[in-house]
Amino acid sequence: MLDVDQVSVRYSSTVTLRDVSLSLAPSRTLAVVGESGAGKSTLINAILGLVPCPTGHVTWDAKPVRKCRPALVMQEPRSAFNPRMSLRRSVKEPLRGRQLDEDRLARLCSGLEIAPDLLDRRPAEVSIGQAQRVGILRALIAAPPLVLFDEPLSALDAVTQKHTARLIAQMQREEGFAALIVTHDLGYAAAFAEEIAVLRAGRIEELTPARAFVDAPQTAYGRTLRDAAFALGAFERVA
Amino acid sequence: MTIAATGLSAMRAGRTILYPTDVEIRPGERVGLVGASGSGKSTLGHALVDKLRAQGAHVAHVPQSPDEALDPLRSMAFHWREAERARTLAPDPARQQTLFNALHIEDGDLRKRPWGWSRGMQQRFVIAMALIGTPDLLVMDEPTSALDPVVAAGTIDLLDAHLADRDTALLLITHDLGLAARRVHRLMVMDDGKIVEDSPIKRLLMAPMTPAAKALCAHRNWLELPC
Repeated sequence: MLDVDQVSVRYSSTVTLRDVSLSLAPSRTLAVVGESGAGKSTLINAILGLVPCPTGHVTWDAKPVRKCRPALVMQEPRSAFNPRMSLRRSVKEPLRGRQLDEDRLARLCSGLEIAPDLLDRRPAEVSIGQAQRVGILRALIAAPPLVLFDEPLSALDAVTQKHTARLIAQMQREEGFAALIVTHDLGYAAAFAEEIAVLRAGRIEELTPARAFVDAPQTAYGRTLRDAAFALGAFERVA
Repeated sequence: MTIAATGLSAMRAGRTILYPTDVEIRPGERVGLVGASGSGKSTLGHALVDKLRAQGAHVAHVPQSPDEALDPLRSMAFHWREAERARTLAPDPARQQTLFNALHIEDGDLRKRPWGWSRGMQQRFVIAMALIGTPDLLVMDEPTSALDPVVAAGTIDLLDAHLADRDTALLLITHDLGLAARRVHRLMVMDDGKIVEDSPIKRLLMAPMTPAAKALCAHRNWLELPC
């Protein structure tokens, strides 16, 4: 289980995360929403240990989180790969030299609707939607217990977004990983996460079950986000 | 006067990416152009802007990202003057103030360069530039996708209010039917370089005819996805 306990992060004189605490159990999904600059990406970096956290702890099952080798799915699918390497070679990287289990690869490819020959291409030779599905494949290949998604759908078109969201949910049911999804798309968060954490100016403003958030956010800022998503047509009906 | 362009088409690397297409938009009409990535929406938008300008119509184009419209080395005041000059209009502080008030950027410092403004304010500035001289048609290509939802919703609301009693027609290009459905009267659906469906928004949402429109309708709402 992921445990983020009172984490604060500072970049020079600016505090970007303040006393953030949250937890996430296996097979569960937490969406972190908020505006640009709220600290969403910093939270991911803090969990991955990519920025120092002078205060607070991030643990997985009471051990430092890096021991569980969490995986990351990035926002820009094509630039997340080495452009000179075949996708197959990139996908094998998280295994760190261990033998690739071809059966597992075939199973994941079929679940993510990746044609077997697609992996022999380079990132520039596939569509953005395909590249993002391969990004998810790379994240899952070493069977991590925790997968972080940084705006995984924002580069995709509306229909592909929803299709990819469904594939992620299906893979999660099969693999049982905990998913922490950072997104500005409240529609995605409401439809696919169990809980929504609203991050504002580095603080968690509210933490609410997803469907309850759509009906009745607990804070005024939560209502602003919900109403904006409604105005942009992410959902049709709001109580 | 109805805006009309016929025989719009485009080829790239020997491949047809936009088949011959006719577009007609009435004054003040709000039209959505939706379709998947790569279906030819932006290509049609560019072809339409070029053709209409060649015909002498006043057409303004707002690109997806303000980076495409603003020179990072020039001040915002320079951009504004350039936009006025392009319309052969003399500087008019009252017009500038009206547009800035309408889009809530009256506090922006015009001496600064684009990167001295937030992205939301930059995009609103680009929209304000596009509205100088009240164009016949405003073409907006994914105007909100580079913005935060709160800023995006606010920008679209402000634009809606500004256009409410004007004759400027709007062509909203987007991949998101959810967004278009709330903002336009008529919807054109693109698939593989062709307009495959063109009908009033209510009829299209109730009874989409083509596979592309059906897919968009089925995936319109995050909370009601098909199983």
